[in-house]
Amino acid sequence: MKQQSKFSENQEHLAAAQTQAQVPKEFASSDELLRFDAAHTTVPPEIGARLKKTSAGIATPPPRPWWRRMFNC
Amino acid sequence: MNEPVAGEEIAIEAPTDWSAPEYASLYDEHSRAIFYLTLRFLGDPQKAEDATHDVFLKAFRRLDQFRGEASMRTWLYRIAINHCQNLCQSWQNRNIQANSDNAIWETSPAKTDSPLRALETKELGQRIQKTLDSLSDEYRLLLLLVADEELSYDEIAALVGQSADAVRGKLHRARKAFAAYFETTV
Repeated sequence: MKQQSKFSENQEHLAAAQTQAQVPKEFASSDELLRFDAAHTTVPPEIGARLKKTSAGIATPPPRPWWRRMFNC
Repeated sequence: MNEPVAGEEIAIEAPTDWSAPEYASLYDEHSRAIFYLTLRFLGDPQKAEDATHDVFLKAFRRLDQFRGEASMRTWLYRIAINHCQNLCQSWQNRNIQANSDNAIWETSPAKTDSPLRALETKELGQRIQKTLDSLSDEYRLLLLLVADEELSYDEIAALVGQSADAVRGKLHRARKAFAAYFETTV
């Protein structure tokens, strides 16, 4: 019983150590902190689904004619 | 800052079908960067969701106007920045104040995160948002852009309509202001 509780205690320590390793407490700069934040930001899947729906009803823009491309207008 | 306009050369052929894989890959590659910018610039996940949707819709519509002079990421950022600034302007005009107490600031934790880690990430996201909110729009934007390693100082300078030297100077002050405020959010 005692052995078991020691085991679970060890597991807790291990889990805490792993968490600390995953989320750094100190960042060298604001850039690093924001990069970490950006990397842990997940894009809501609803945006992609919504985009597919809304863009489905829109006609594809016609390609620009050659003369507009040539004269840059 | 102007949005991209029609240019001399078309670098990317607009797909003839809106469900074309070109659109999907464009979205897959850049959606995180655009969502992150809108999230931290606007400070509201729902508004960021709407803004990201609108930015990509605009980009899809104008893909034939992409000149290829800047990178696709830069072009998308330009659309996103204009969109966010227009939104902020219209909110200010309507005198609508965002209720920062009710705003959900947190970074959405990844689904694989442990509850403890998710909590830590959420707290960190709240502190970051609080700090960014305390800065001017200009500093906030510069810090968010420079955090994207894909952008050079020249590209950031072009995006904010300033010289690279001016951007470096302002970034120095923005980083200092960020660090000073962030310490107080503990």
